[in-house]
Amino acid sequence: MFSLAFLQTALLYLGYILIFPGFLFCFVIGLLLCGIDRKAVARMQKRVGPPILQPFYDFFKLCGKETIVPAAANRTTFMLAPLVGLAALVVIQLFIPVFNFRVFRNLPEVADIIVILYLLLIPAVSVMLGGAATGSPYAGVGLSREMVTVLAVELPLVLVLLSVAKTVGNALGNGLVFSLSGIVDFQAAHGSLIGRVSMIPAALAMLLIIPGETGNHPFDAAEAETEICEGLLAEYSGAPLGIYKLSHAVKMLTLTSLFVALFLGGIGTGVEHLVAAIGLTGGFAAALSLILQVLILVLLCIVLTLVTISFVHAVTARLKIEQLFKYYWTVVTGLALISLVLAWYGY
Amino acid sequence: MMNVLSYQHFPIYAIMVLFLGAFLIVLFGKNKIARSCLALLSVTGSLALLVSLVPRVMLNGEIITYWMGNRAYAGGYAIGIALEVDALSLFFALLIAVAVFVSCVYSIRYMEHDDNIPQYYTLFLMLAGGVLGLVLSGDLFNMFIMVEILTFAAVALTAFRNTARGALEAAFKYLVVGSIGSTCILAGTIMLYAQVHTLNFAQLSALIPGHLNGSTRVAFALLFVGFSTKAFLVPFHPLAADAHGAAPASISVLISGVLTKSGIYGIIRLVYFLFQSMGLRPIQFMLVFVGSVSMFVCVTMALAQHDFKRLLAFHSISQIGYVLTAVGLSTALGISAGLYHAMNHTIFKGLLFLAAGAVLHETGTTDLDRLGGLSKRMPHTTVLFLIGAASISGIPPFNGFASKWLIYQAAYLRAVETGNIGYLLVTIIALVTSTLTLASFVKVSQSVFFGRLPEEFKDVKEVPFGMRFAMSLFAILCVLTGLLPDLVTKLLSGPAAQAVLNPIRYIAAARGIEMPVENAALPQAAGAWSPINWLLLLGIALFAITLVALLGKYDQVSENASGEKLPAKYDLFFSGEKSVYSQVGGGDLFWGFKHNWRHYFSFMHDLHSGVVNDYALWAVVALALAIAFLQIVL
Amino acid sequence: MFKKLIEESTGKSPWLFHINAGSCNGCDIELVSVLTPRYDAERLGFKLAGTPRHADIVVVTGPVTQQSLNRVLRTIEQVPEPRCIVTMGSCPQSGNVFRGSYAIAGPLSKYVHVDVDVAGCTPKPEAVIDGLVKATEILREKRRAMK
Repeated sequence: MFSLAFLQTALLYLGYILIFPGFLFCFVIGLLLCGIDRKAVARMQKRVGPPILQPFYDFFKLCGKETIVPAAANRTTFMLAPLVGLAALVVIQLFIPVFNFRVFRNLPEVADIIVILYLLLIPAVSVMLGGAATGSPYAGVGLSREMVTVLAVELPLVLVLLSVAKTVGNALGNGLVFSLSGIVDFQAAHGSLIGRVSMIPAALAMLLIIPGETGNHPFDAAEAETEICEGLLAEYSGAPLGIYKLSHAVKMLTLTSLFVALFLGGIGTGVEHLVAAIGLTGGFAAALSLILQVLILVLLCIVLTLVTISFVHAVTARLKIEQLFKYYWTVVTGLALISLVLAWYGY
Repeated sequence: MMNVLSYQHFPIYAIMVLFLGAFLIVLFGKNKIARSCLALLSVTGSLALLVSLVPRVMLNGEIITYWMGNRAYAGGYAIGIALEVDALSLFFALLIAVAVFVSCVYSIRYMEHDDNIPQYYTLFLMLAGGVLGLVLSGDLFNMFIMVEILTFAAVALTAFRNTARGALEAAFKYLVVGSIGSTCILAGTIMLYAQVHTLNFAQLSALIPGHLNGSTRVAFALLFVGFSTKAFLVPFHPLAADAHGAAPASISVLISGVLTKSGIYGIIRLVYFLFQSMGLRPIQFMLVFVGSVSMFVCVTMALAQHDFKRLLAFHSISQIGYVLTAVGLSTALGISAGLYHAMNHTIFKGLLFLAAGAVLHETGTTDLDRLGGLSKRMPHTTVLFLIGAASISGIPPFNGFASKWLIYQAAYLRAVETGNIGYLLVTIIALVTSTLTLASFVKVSQSVFFGRLPEEFKDVKEVPFGMRFAMSLFAILCVLTGLLPDLVTKLLSGPAAQAVLNPIRYIAAARGIEMPVENAALPQAAGAWSPINWLLLLGIALFAITLVALLGKYDQVSENASGEKLPAKYDLFFSGEKSVYSQVGGGDLFWGFKHNWRHYFSFMHDLHSGVVNDYALWAVVALALAIAFLQIVL
Repeated sequence: MFKKLIEESTGKSPWLFHINAGSCNGCDIELVSVLTPRYDAERLGFKLAGTPRHADIVVVTGPVTQQSLNRVLRTIEQVPEPRCIVTMGSCPQSGNVFRGSYAIAGPLSKYVHVDVDVAGCTPKPEAVIDGLVKATEILREKRRAMK
C-alpha cells in the first residue's frame, strides 16, 4: 500500500488541498478580490481608496494582535469555530471545477450541488456558534440576523440549483444532472448556460444571492458595525478575527467561482485546443492551459465581484433584516422561480 | 416440533423477554439493583435476539413465519395467531430495540430521584414490548391489541411525573385523541374481518385488493387515520408537543423514536400490503400531501416554541413528515430513503431528547428564555447535543444529511419522471424545511448552551456518566450511519425497501411458500456524496490550517486566569458599561423571519387553542375527509 | 520575516475606535469628515471599527466627564495590545472651556498613558490625519517591542 505511487498520489492531493485550488490559492485570490472590491467602492465614491493589498495588511496585522478570550466565553468553541469555517470553505473550493481542471478527475465525485448547498452552511454555522459562545448580547442579535439572512438566501439558491440541474438534464435527455463537473462538462460541449433563455433569470438571481451569502453591503445586517458592533464578531480580536476576515474573503471567491462553474462554464474550456493550435504538446502545454484557465477564472471572479459586490455596495444603503428577508423571498425567489418554470417546460 | 432454540422462536422471545421483565419488576422491583439489572437484561436480550436475525432476514431475504401454538394454515384460512418477520418488520424492530436499550441505560441515572421507579420500569417495558409486538405481528387484530398496550403505557408514562405542571392535562389529551385513534383501528379491523373473514395479515393482503367495496374503503380510511394518530401526523401534532413536554426525557425518546415509527410502520403495511394501492396516484398524493404538510407546519410550529422539549416534539413530527413523504413517492429510492431517515430520526431525536433531559436533570427547567451558557458547565452534553443538532439540521457528514439528501434526490427524480410539478414543490418544501430546522437548532444552541450563564445556574454540574454514556451511544450511531450510507442502504434500508415493494413474497411466506429473492439493484441516486472522502479532506484541511495557526502562535491568548475579580479587559463589551446579565431570549429569536410571516403565525397561534375538544374535533374532521377522499378516488 | 511582515502590516492597517467622552460633537463630526472622499483616510488603511476588540487606535473626544470616566477607561482596557490612545481636540487634554467644572474628571492623561494629542477646537482634518499617522508609527514601535 505504501508504495511510491501511493506516496505520489498522497502528495498530489496534499498539494491540491494546501496550494491549488486549496488553501494558498483561496488565501491569495480571496484577499485580492476583497482588496479590489474595497478599491472599486472607493473609486465609485470618488475616493482614492486603500491599496489593493490592504486586506493582506489587515490580516497580518490581526495575526500580530493580542487575542482576548472574554471570561464569559467558551474557549474551545471560541477558538475552534473560525478554523472549522475556513477549512470547510477551502474544501468546497476543491469541489468547484476550474473549467477543465478537476481535483477528482480519476475518482468518483465527492459532492454534488445539493451537497455544496449544505456545505456552504457550515461556515455560517461556525461563525454563529463562535459568536454565540462569547455570550455577548450583540452576538445574540447578530446570530439572529445571520440566521435569517441564511434562511432568506437559501430558498432562491435552492431554486437556482434545481433549475440548473433540470436544464442540463433536459438538454442531455437524462432527467437530472446534479454533478457540478457534469454541468461544466455539458457547458464545455454545448456552450455556457448563460446563453439559454431559461437560465438568464437564474443567473440574475444568483448574482443577487452572492452578496447576501457573503454578507456584503447592503445585506450585512448581521454585521452592522454601526448598530450592533459587528454582531457575531463583537468579542473577537487578534488572529481568530483575522481568520474570520479571511473566511469572508474566501467566501467571495467560492461564490463567484461557483457562479462561473454554473453559468459561465464554457468560457475557459476551449483553451486546450487553443494551446494545441499553436503547436504545443505534452506537459508544458497542459501546464500552460491550466495557468490560462486559472487566469480566466480569476478574471471572471474579479468582474463578478465588481458587478455583484462592489457596485451594489456603492449604490445602496443597508437593508433592515425584515426587508432583506422579504426582498430575497419575493424578488430574487421570483427570478429563480421564472427560471425553474422555464426549465421545467423545456426552454 | 421445532427446537426451542431455533431461530424461528426468536421474534416471540424478543417480545416475551420485555413483557416478562415488566412482570418480574413488579415482583422484585423494590430493590434498586435488581430492577435495573432486570430491565437492562430484558432490553439487551431483546436487542441481541433481533440482531441475530439480521443475516437471515436482511441478507438472505428470508421471511420468518411463526404460528403461536403451531396452529398454522388450515383449510385455506389462517386461524392461528402469527408473527411474520420480513425485512421491513425487522428493520423497525431493530430501531425500536436500539432506542429502548439506550433509553433504558439512560433511565437508570436519570430516574433515580423519582418516586415509584418500579412502576416506571414496568410501564417502560410494557411500552417497548407493545411496540415490538406491533411491528413483528402478522395479525391485524394483534396489532390492535399491541396498539392498545402501547397507548395506555404511553399515557401512563406521560403522566408519570404527575406533580409537574401540565402532566395530567397532557396525558388526558393524549388519552382522548389516542383512544379515538385506537377506536379507528379497531373499527377498521372489524370491517375488514366482516368482509373477508380473516385477520391474518398476509391473507388479508391477498384477499382485499380483489374485494374493494364501500366497506373496505371506509376501513382503509379508519386504519389510515388510526395509524396517523399514533405517528402524530398533522392534525394530531399538538398532542405530541404536550406529551413530550410533560413526559420524562427517556420516555420522550420512546414516544418520538419508537411510537411514531409504529404509526409509520402501520401506514406502510396498510398502503403497500393490505391494499397494495401505491400504484394509484391519489394514494401517493395523500401520503405525500400529509407528509409535506406535517413537515412544514410542524417546523414552523417548532420555530414558535419557548420550551426545549416542546420544540423537539414538533421537530419530531416534522421529520416524520419527511419519512412519510419519501415513502409516498413509491419508488425504490424513495422508500429506502424514507426508511433510512426513519432510522436516523430515531437516533438523532433520541440523542436530542436525552440532551434535553440532561439539561432538565441539572437545571430543573427546559424554558429557553431562562437557560443559557451551559456549555461552560456541561461541556460533554454540549458536544453531544451539537452532534444531534447537526444531524437533524442536515449538516454533513452526520446521518440526517445522508438520508435527507436521498429524499431530495428521490423527490426530484420522481418529479422529473412523472412530469408532475407537485413533486417539485415537495422537493423545495423539503429543502426549505431543512433550513428552518437549522434555524430552530441554532436558536436552541444560542439560548441553552451558548450565550450568557444566568446567576441561578452558576453551580450546575455535568450529568452523571451513565447518562453521558447513553447519549454517546446515540452520538456514535449518528456519526456511523452518516458516514456509511452505502452500508446502511445495503444492510438495512435497502432490503426493507425491497420487502415493501414485494408484498407477494410476504403473502406467500405465510402459506409456507418460499419465493426466490429478486435481487433487484439497489436504488441509485442521481448525485454523488461520499462522506468519508469529504471528511478526510476536511480533516486534512483543518489539520493543516490548525497547524499553520498554531505555528503562528494562534493559541497564545489572554485569558482571565485568576477568575476571582473580573478585570474590565475580560468583561464583555457593553458599550462601556459594566456588563450585566443580558441574553437575547430564545422564544422570539428570529423576528426578521417571523415579521414577514406574522399573519401565518398568528393564524397558527389561534388555531392551536390547547382545548382537547378542538383536537378531538380535528380528529373527526380528518377521519371524515379521509373517508370522503378514499370513497371518491379508490 | 513573518515578524517583520506583521510589523509592517501593523503600520498600514490601523483601525479606529471612537469614544465620545462628553464632547460637544464638533470633534466627532470632524473625525467623520476625515473618512469622507475629500480627505479619505482609508487610503492609509484607516477604518472605523464597531467594537474596541477590533481597534488599534482609540480616539477620545470630549473633556472626560465624571459620568463617562469609568466607561472610557473600561473601553480602553478592552482594546487588545498593541494599542494607541489619541486625544482629539483640546477638551481631553486640558478641559478646554469646561476646565474647573465639577462635572469634569479630565484630563485623560491623569488616568491612562496618552500617545498622541491632537490639539484644536476642533482640530483641522489635516491635523487629525497627521496625528493618526504619528499614532500608527507609535503602534509599529509598540508591536516591535512585543515579544
